[in-house]
Amino acid sequence: MVFSTPFFLFFYLPIVLAVYYITPLKFRNAVLLLLNLIFYGWGEPVYILIMFASIAIDYTHGLLVTRCQAKGNDKGARLAVASSVIFNLALLGVFKYSDFVISNLNALLGTAIPLTGLKLPIGISFYTFQTMSYTIDVYRGDAKAQKNIVTFGTFVTLFPQLIAGPIIKYKDLDDQLEHRTHSPEQFAAGVQTFVVGLAKKVLIANNIGSLWDAIKATELSGLTVVGAWLGAAVCALQLYFDFSGYSDMAIGLGRMLGFEFLKNFDYPFISKSVSEFWRRWHISLGSWFREYVYFPLGGSRKGKWRTCLNLLIVWTLTGVWHGAAWNFVLWGLYFGVLILCERVLWGKALEKLPGWVRHVYTLFLVTVSFAIFGVEDMAKLPGYLAAMFGFAGGGVVNATTLYYLRGYLPVLVISLVASTPWISGLVKQHLSVDRSKAGRVLLPVGLMAGLILCTAYLVDATYNPFLYFRF
Amino acid sequence: MSKKYAVFITCLFLAFLGIFAAANAVTPDKDFSPMENRALAQMPELSGDALLSGSFMEDFESYVTDQFVLRDQWIALKAGAEYASGKKENNGVYICDEHTLIARFDPPANDRAKKRIDDNFGYVEKLAGLTDVPVYFSLIPGKVSVWADLLPEGAPNDDEGQYIARGAALQGPKWLDAATTLNAHKDEYIFYRTDHHWTTLGAYYAYAALAEGMGLEPMPLSSFDRQVVSQEFFGTTFSSSGVRWLEPDTMEFFVPQEAATVTNYFDGTPTEGQLYDLSKLSEKDKYSAFLGGNKPLTVVKSNVAPEGAPKLMLIRDSYADSMAPFLCYHFSEIHLVDPRYYKTSMAQYVKDNAIDQVLVMYAVNNFVKDGNLFVLGMAAK
Repeated sequence: MVFSTPFFLFFYLPIVLAVYYITPLKFRNAVLLLLNLIFYGWGEPVYILIMFASIAIDYTHGLLVTRCQAKGNDKGARLAVASSVIFNLALLGVFKYSDFVISNLNALLGTAIPLTGLKLPIGISFYTFQTMSYTIDVYRGDAKAQKNIVTFGTFVTLFPQLIAGPIIKYKDLDDQLEHRTHSPEQFAAGVQTFVVGLAKKVLIANNIGSLWDAIKATELSGLTVVGAWLGAAVCALQLYFDFSGYSDMAIGLGRMLGFEFLKNFDYPFISKSVSEFWRRWHISLGSWFREYVYFPLGGSRKGKWRTCLNLLIVWTLTGVWHGAAWNFVLWGLYFGVLILCERVLWGKALEKLPGWVRHVYTLFLVTVSFAIFGVEDMAKLPGYLAAMFGFAGGGVVNATTLYYLRGYLPVLVISLVASTPWISGLVKQHLSVDRSKAGRVLLPVGLMAGLILCTAYLVDATYNPFLYFRF
Repeated sequence: MSKKYAVFITCLFLAFLGIFAAANAVTPDKDFSPMENRALAQMPELSGDALLSGSFMEDFESYVTDQFVLRDQWIALKAGAEYASGKKENNGVYICDEHTLIARFDPPANDRAKKRIDDNFGYVEKLAGLTDVPVYFSLIPGKVSVWADLLPEGAPNDDEGQYIARGAALQGPKWLDAATTLNAHKDEYIFYRTDHHWTTLGAYYAYAALAEGMGLEPMPLSSFDRQVVSQEFFGTTFSSSGVRWLEPDTMEFFVPQEAATVTNYFDGTPTEGQLYDLSKLSEKDKYSAFLGGNKPLTVVKSNVAPEGAPKLMLIRDSYADSMAPFLCYHFSEIHLVDPRYYKTSMAQYVKDNAIDQVLVMYAVNNFVKDGNLFVLGMAAK
């Protein structure tokens, strides 16, 4: 199930909220677990079994770690952690990467191993990472093992962030799972975040997404320099609004149910370096890799060469996490190399440059990266990059490019402005509901306008795929 | 935020969801959307299999979207918002000058689509070799090329001309050129502004061009008593565009109803038809007044053809429905076959029904997409 459908908004969500708030506090986790499972099983009912297995196995491992540690058996505890990590990675490996590995093996060795053809269980990249963090946190003493399997199951399946993040670490949520408060203030804040997220997804991401589709489908010979850059920029904006919109919706829904999740995006396009970009983009993923891969590998404490190696490992993994395809590997490495360079080569020099130069530098590199991300066909990618730099023979600009620019200009301007903290800053300064009467009038008007427009687009839409569904 | 204000915002949100959720539950389901010209999804049947496979959930989501209260109005609002944001395009339709809507014509999306086009040309070529009677072939350009002047500047479209040139170059079938004539009359009302079909006037000009190509003398335009039968026609392009602020089209009949006796075959058994099914004029899809709309086979027996006139088989799409009346002046019988619904060998049909001439006539846009033309390449037994 995805949030941006009439079915979710006008059928499932009202039911969820009604059932959840009718239920006495004591049983809310149990009811939430049930609602989560229906949410998850809605698209692929059979894969609920994987979810059950995942809950049962990670729950047991958590207890196992605690029991071993209580007996002073560190080796046993380590084994339990390893076993849990292996189980989760195996799950991910089988369902997400086996066909990629097999097809590459076949191509390399000339073998004909049949593909598994397994459909990717929704959200598997997210929840396997969450459950891995659980056992590790328990081992590290950052969290206490959860004794109640219902509570644990609620954590694993929590529907607002189940299928597209943010990736929540157990230690950030354990208190809220056991005692959370519900208040109109929190609910109303959730409504605002949710509607903003919905509008980002439906009114902006889907909207400019059709432009990226059109540019991506253009024959390379007809792709102009402006068109190719427009395409890469639109791809970046689309992903940002799609994914951060989804995160906003998740955070908003979480608040409606009494949870506070950490933010996942912090205006990445205003960054002044590539490293900063990744501190602002998909924050929960970056911090997961930092905490559970980079630091355990030794981080930057084991000398220059080891740091380089560690960075490249982490960024290759970050790349393949986004999808089982070579362009994602390349995309991850691209960032790995750039972040490495900023660290050891030109980071210091960069800081001395004027702010606008650093913006241009960052936006340039980030835009190129989204061409790599968005053009999944590796055979087409070199041609697309060539077109960006004027080597594809499509010319600088043509009538079609101008047609797209004209038609999408207002949406593009809105999306560019909305990708900076400018509007939100203005609202906070002048239209805060606590201080401004106009703000108190504008908020409900804006919310209604957003909901009505989103409903119109959703009822109309056949074009409504969630991009982060496959990861 | 004060508690009172927070309660207000919360209630506002819940009321919005609740009102539409309740309205959706209460309003009776509709079977058919005349605006979209399709059956709407119904409440799916609940079964163990449907639940396990997930098909129930999928169908249920379509059901909720299709039966959403004020569905047409939401779609219109979205089209309006798109237009207001500067877009000259909505749901694959260009919003053009002079109250005209023109469907976008995309190049083949992939190799399969490219192969289909090659195949379709191949089938037409093959048909000419499979029968002894003359096979004529014509491809009709659409608004997207004839009225290209009205398109938004730079609007991307595939070139229909390349397919027309390819049809003209085929070996075997005899090519009939309709494009030149239509282009010559492009300043006249030859296409409906809100529908993908040609008007009766457009059909007449094409008929005249085709007749000349077949060595016949077309009836002069002045010989017809033109009847305006509707001034409230909103066509298919109107429906799919979502754009609701345009003027309706006008529909005319040229040839009188009595010019022919029509027999339709929906499944094999003959039913009585007419050149014009007037009942359709009060429905949304008014174009189907011509011969009563889509069906596998229609036989038009002319009451106005000269003695001993030949029998024509017309392998066609819906553009032929409004042209067939004109052909009554030259052919004793016209057998209109739609391969989408009629799946046997065309060559066999020619043999069985003593057909004298075959005309394959399609709009370019339909021809490149049709996946049923293999029946043209099937040999007679």
